[in-house]
Amino acid sequence: MKFKDYYETFGVPRNATQDEIKHAYRKLARKYHPDVSKDPDAEARFKELGEAYAVLKDPEKRAAYDQMGSQWKAGQEFQPPPDWDAGFEFSGSDSGSGDGTDHSDFFEALFGRQARGTQRPGMHARGQDHHAKVLIDLEDAYFGVKRSISLRVPTLDAQGHVAMREHRIDVNIPKGIRAGQHLRLAGQGMPGLGEGSAGDLYLEIGFNPHRQFRVDGRDVYLDVPLAPWEAALGCSLDVPLPDGPVQLAVPAKSAAGRQLRLKSKGIPGNPPGDLYVVLGIALPPANTDSEKDAYRAMAKAFNFDARAHMKGNPS
Amino acid sequence: MSNADKHQSRDPIVEEEICLTLTELCHACSASEEFVIAWVFEGLLEPIGEAPEDWRFTGQSLYRARLAWSLTRDLEVNPPGVALALDLLDKISALEAQLHRVGVR
Repeated sequence: MKFKDYYETFGVPRNATQDEIKHAYRKLARKYHPDVSKDPDAEARFKELGEAYAVLKDPEKRAAYDQMGSQWKAGQEFQPPPDWDAGFEFSGSDSGSGDGTDHSDFFEALFGRQARGTQRPGMHARGQDHHAKVLIDLEDAYFGVKRSISLRVPTLDAQGHVAMREHRIDVNIPKGIRAGQHLRLAGQGMPGLGEGSAGDLYLEIGFNPHRQFRVDGRDVYLDVPLAPWEAALGCSLDVPLPDGPVQLAVPAKSAAGRQLRLKSKGIPGNPPGDLYVVLGIALPPANTDSEKDAYRAMAKAFNFDARAHMKGNPS
Repeated sequence: MSNADKHQSRDPIVEEEICLTLTELCHACSASEEFVIAWVFEGLLEPIGEAPEDWRFTGQSLYRARLAWSLTRDLEVNPPGVALALDLLDKISALEAQLHRVGVR
């Protein structure tokens, strides 16, 4: 187990006042809050902040932590000294900022796992709702998909200790689901207390990033590059869509950026989304002599000024 | 519960097929009624119905309420602050969606 330097987490000295710690926590918590931050490590950083704050904001825990001395460095191999917490009493079940917090081994070795919601005899309550996220492919939204998901859920044993347990569920993800939507799986959350019913599981759906398609709500976008002559003269193309290829007629005189709408070819539903083919133009490189000649012939044939719009307005 | 629960029935899509009472919403987002009522007052949630006991929230409100609760709990933001933060987050995601549509990842 590695030692964690909770002061270093906040970048404050060991003799920082409670206000300084609170100030540092608030500032960093805003920066790394997973609902606000775009930082890929936000969730892990935020968890570390919550754990460090749970110790340093509580004068009892902070004093016990301080008592271990300042010779420890973050990341150093660590075992709590015997009786290190003699004379301290950690009150309450307020072990962190969040509910269902999953603290580090280091924290748990020092302060223990705290049972939340210890069962009292004769008490009945509905179990907590759970929230989880599952990623599917865009194609799955066109056809529906069956997924087996595995969740780690904290459960209370007879003594009221928290243990993590694997919970596997087979779930049918319906055709037409969109990223950001949720399924409610009744009775798949935390078990109830006493005769209380189990909570529900809310499953957020996300899409794996796709090599070709972009998704916006129920609409899907596909970039299709064309050769200049295809764009100028029009052409017919086979376009691979998530539910199979379609023939697409590209009209003559198509400019780069033109969007062709394939009605109802987006994510199915009521109403279904549309699929937009976004045309691009790819320039063929002129490497050989005959290729260069072809460009020269174009230059001669066209009375074309690519910068015509910049003239007559010298500012 | 068995180890792998078979889940053959069709589970409802929250955003389209369910609505929640005040009690159900509080349970699903872990916030107290007091907070939810304050958020309704701020216009952050817009239930149908007059009195709190008649309120019906859409599935969409559940995720606004969860976000509101995590900002309240983790950052101690008060209801007007949460309402402001959610408005700004909405604006950011609308702008991001616009960028995404034109192909900026």
